[in-house]
Amino acid sequence: MALNDILKHMPSINDAYNDFKACEELSFANLTQNKVLSVPPYCNPVENLAKLQEGNSDVKIHFDHGTTTLGFIYQGGVVMAVDSRATGGQYIGSQSVRKVVEINDLLLGTLAGGAADCTYWYRVLTSECRLYELRNKKKISLAAATKIMNNIIYSYKNSGLSMGMILAGGDMNQVSLYYLDSDGTRTTGKVFSVGSGSIFALGVLDSGYKWDLKDEDAYELGRRSIYHATHRDAYSGGTVRVYHVKKDGWNLISEEDCLNLHRRYQAEKNN
Amino acid sequence: MSIMAYNGGCIVAMKGKECVAIATDHRFGIQAQTIATDFEKVFPINKQMYLGLAGLQSDIITVYKRLMFRKNLYEIRENRVMQPERFAAMLSSFLYEHRFGPYFIEPVIAGLDPKTFKPFICNMDLIGCPNMPDDFVVGGTCEEQLFGMCETLWRENMEPDDLFETISQAMLNAFDRDAISGWGATVYIIEKDKTTVKTLKTRMD
Amino acid sequence: MESIIGIKGKDFVMLAADSTHPHSIMVLKDDENKIHKISDSLLIAATGDAGDTVQFVEYISKNILLYKMRNGYELSPKAAAYFTRKNLADYLRTRYAYQVWLLVAGYDKKEGPQLTFIDYLANTLSVKHGAHGYGGMFCGSIFDKYHHDNLTQDEAYEIMRKCAREIQKRLIISQPRFHVQVVDTNGVKRLEDITTENLKD
Repeated sequence: MALNDILKHMPSINDAYNDFKACEELSFANLTQNKVLSVPPYCNPVENLAKLQEGNSDVKIHFDHGTTTLGFIYQGGVVMAVDSRATGGQYIGSQSVRKVVEINDLLLGTLAGGAADCTYWYRVLTSECRLYELRNKKKISLAAATKIMNNIIYSYKNSGLSMGMILAGGDMNQVSLYYLDSDGTRTTGKVFSVGSGSIFALGVLDSGYKWDLKDEDAYELGRRSIYHATHRDAYSGGTVRVYHVKKDGWNLISEEDCLNLHRRYQAEKNN
Repeated sequence: MSIMAYNGGCIVAMKGKECVAIATDHRFGIQAQTIATDFEKVFPINKQMYLGLAGLQSDIITVYKRLMFRKNLYEIRENRVMQPERFAAMLSSFLYEHRFGPYFIEPVIAGLDPKTFKPFICNMDLIGCPNMPDDFVVGGTCEEQLFGMCETLWRENMEPDDLFETISQAMLNAFDRDAISGWGATVYIIEKDKTTVKTLKTRMD
Repeated sequence: MESIIGIKGKDFVMLAADSTHPHSIMVLKDDENKIHKISDSLLIAATGDAGDTVQFVEYISKNILLYKMRNGYELSPKAAAYFTRKNLADYLRTRYAYQVWLLVAGYDKKEGPQLTFIDYLANTLSVKHGAHGYGGMFCGSIFDKYHHDNLTQDEAYEIMRKCAREIQKRLIISQPRFHVQVVDTNGVKRLEDITTENLKD
């Protein structure tokens, strides 16, 4: 779709022509400055971009959305589990998205909300973490990494980004868990779940969560919570991936297709 | 979200050689939330005719019940089995009766003529515009995907076994690309002397 | 919106409903009973628009009683649910549509237990477990994990407690007390309320 088609639906384009010029000047800036994005070619991006994403506009943009992700901390570290479906509207765009981002060998992050938003900013964060390492000759702490991410996200507050991230990693001599989102929230906690399927995942997660879980039981709790979410939520599905994060690094525990999980859990129920 | 996609679900019907097939998914949801996975949208009308209704579940029940009333009345009055063509005509005028306040459903009919056993398939829009092609008809939230699958898989004069395989693959692969259809499927193969019902094991996410 | 929850077991149906009655930003009443006893073998739990729920359920229940008086026998739970749906569907296409979400629970010696899920559009399905309202959205995965076909009443009550605990933990609207009723071959019985206090035990 040509830019003009989009612009003609923007009533404010003439008033905002100066903004548009700024955008032209900056259009190659993120090649060297990855935290700088083009200025939107119209005012009030939150309001006006939202108009395009609603069904009642002639122009329809569907970003990929819909997810179930979770992370919880227990005596043995952090378990993170995610699904792998990407949907644009009710259409399933992909069943094989990797929603856990491996930032480095200590840090992991999950991806929910706008798929492009998350992917882009995780890439920026990855490079920031690596630069920190090169400059300071030591690994970045999770607290510092999340603060960098939070500062970037916060600088784009109210411009329409949509992200919900759970980050986990070895932080000095302990493992910690953070939640970040595009409203500017940055907080630690024991149990987080983000995405359209999170209410279903939490139903199972809360009723089975204990600090003293054994490793195997913790993996199974994470896996089962995501499985139940994929079963109930139309916008979650595909493969369930489970990661374990410890002080000295993370491990991929399992990648299982929901089809196999369903058969196994049904068989268990019938016995 | 459109009211037609409030509950989710899809139907497909195909012609074969002296047989027809119709298939339905099992999902009953309210927008993104799946409420139950045992709601079949295909109903037997008589021995060799099935009606599939996709769309708003409330209207699926209403339309099915009202049609059965009219069809039973016809069969008692005429003392013979209703032909699929007659049933389609009746459904069409029933839907058009509600032209200014329509039922939010897309019907699909599949059956054999009770005397000649000629295959019959038909679908309509929500206000009763009938469409009776020679190959296949589709309805529901993954209509586009179903059209794509059917266009590539369907061939003329398929035997019942072949038809079963074709319609199953078409439906399975179509609703695997739709977030609000699936969670199980049932296929009906209607032949001259028997009807076979098969439940498919599908993805449940 | 408030929560109503229903679970069907082998020979009973259990309903739970939170007891708040919200009005604007405040709680008007904290001991509202949303589970209506229609007969010795039929319960209807209703939530939705404040006036509509009571009006609609009373209209349905009085007609079901009238049917019994006229004919000398009762509507079965299935028939009662169908009658309820039909009325809701007919009103939907008038200017006086009722905004109600219902769970119809009943026990019949021939048909066994029956739980019917009905929403405000008259979407209707016989289910093993179901829930309405914001709180109800948290219950789906709990049912999937803990419900099975040979459920006893104690197990069902335990699932209700799990649901209530989850709602109280995760829903931002406070729902501190749930009424619980069960219908089985012995008729209708009210069980102990599930409250924030007794959930701690």
